[in-house]
Amino acid sequence: MGKRPAEIERDEAAMGTLVELTSVFEGIASMRIAQIKNQVLQATEFFNELWHIYSQLRVSTFFGFGRNADEEVEIIDKELYIVITAEGGFSGDIDQKLIQLMLKTYDKDKNEIIVIGHHGAIQLAQRNVSYKKYYKLPNKDKDINVSPIIKEVQQYRTTTVFYQEYVSLMVQDVKRIELSSAVQQKGKSVDEGDEIITEANYIFEPSTYDVVDHLERSMMHIAMSQLILNSKLAQYASRFRAMSASHTRADEAKSELHLDFNRARRAIKDERLKEIVNGMKKSAAAGASK
Amino acid sequence: MPEDTKKDTKVAVNTGDAEHMRIKVYAPFKVYFDGLAKSISAVNDTGPFDILPRHHNFMTLINTGDVIVRSDSGEEKIPIVRGIMHVKADEVVVFLDV
Repeated sequence: MGKRPAEIERDEAAMGTLVELTSVFEGIASMRIAQIKNQVLQATEFFNELWHIYSQLRVSTFFGFGRNADEEVEIIDKELYIVITAEGGFSGDIDQKLIQLMLKTYDKDKNEIIVIGHHGAIQLAQRNVSYKKYYKLPNKDKDINVSPIIKEVQQYRTTTVFYQEYVSLMVQDVKRIELSSAVQQKGKSVDEGDEIITEANYIFEPSTYDVVDHLERSMMHIAMSQLILNSKLAQYASRFRAMSASHTRADEAKSELHLDFNRARRAIKDERLKEIVNGMKKSAAAGASK
Repeated sequence: MPEDTKKDTKVAVNTGDAEHMRIKVYAPFKVYFDGLAKSISAVNDTGPFDILPRHHNFMTLINTGDVIVRSDSGEEKIPIVRGIMHVKADEVVVFLDV
């Protein structure tokens, strides 16, 4: 026996609430996407100007990860993996894809993992993969403090970041990049300028190496922050996509329920009509037999 | 016509003036000052210092304190934690929060 109209009406109202909720989430996600895109643009302008200066400095051909040239730092002969995932689990399947990408090359003897985002930490724990540290994905979209992560980066031979990239509202990708390449790749789009900055034509304080170290650290900070922002952007887009799909499904379910409700009401009316007609037929037959 | 005159004056001030430098003080997400000014002061490892027009090319790390920009409209104090200053041909750029 099917549901009664009153029950279907209650289900329809509940589905209506779900439609409204998913629509609100969809709106919030698209608003956040616009905000973060703007932040990424602003930080890019800042990075470009720093890179412009850095590219004119003639000190070393190697990117030194901002390690202080005067200090003897013992470098861990491993590759550090940094994986940037979402804080919560509402970002569709993009985190699972990212973890899968990382595990393809992960070797516990050669790599150590730092996870950003609680969802990634859970995913790794479920797969029995241990990680060195976990950082919460920053809530804010500006002035992200990446100093603790950069300090970790400076201890390792190399660092690869696994992140999520926003391609468009409907397309998000998972990617990996070596951090020093990320800095240099960002700088490729900037005109290098003709002038060379050396100690012959500039005064440096406290010293040339200190300034270069600081510039390298700063650019790593920005590149790392940009990768985090890019991942957040992709997560919001993925959430938008998930919410958009839920919204469509909820809307369809609501229409379906409305049809069921009308059918059930109609069935009851038909049943009553049948009873009345049958009753009339019976009374007519009883009158004729008298 | 008056519009053009106004435009010309602005260009003249921007391009050549022995008393002013073009100064930009900014962080990745915020511009604190962007315009012409007479001097800029800050603190580095050596101590407090001032930059005036025609200063030699200079790059320095700046320490926690106030960056003070003096322009025709007055003095602007910008509290900072750390930064880097680049001075070249009467153009000063201060990168903050990096």
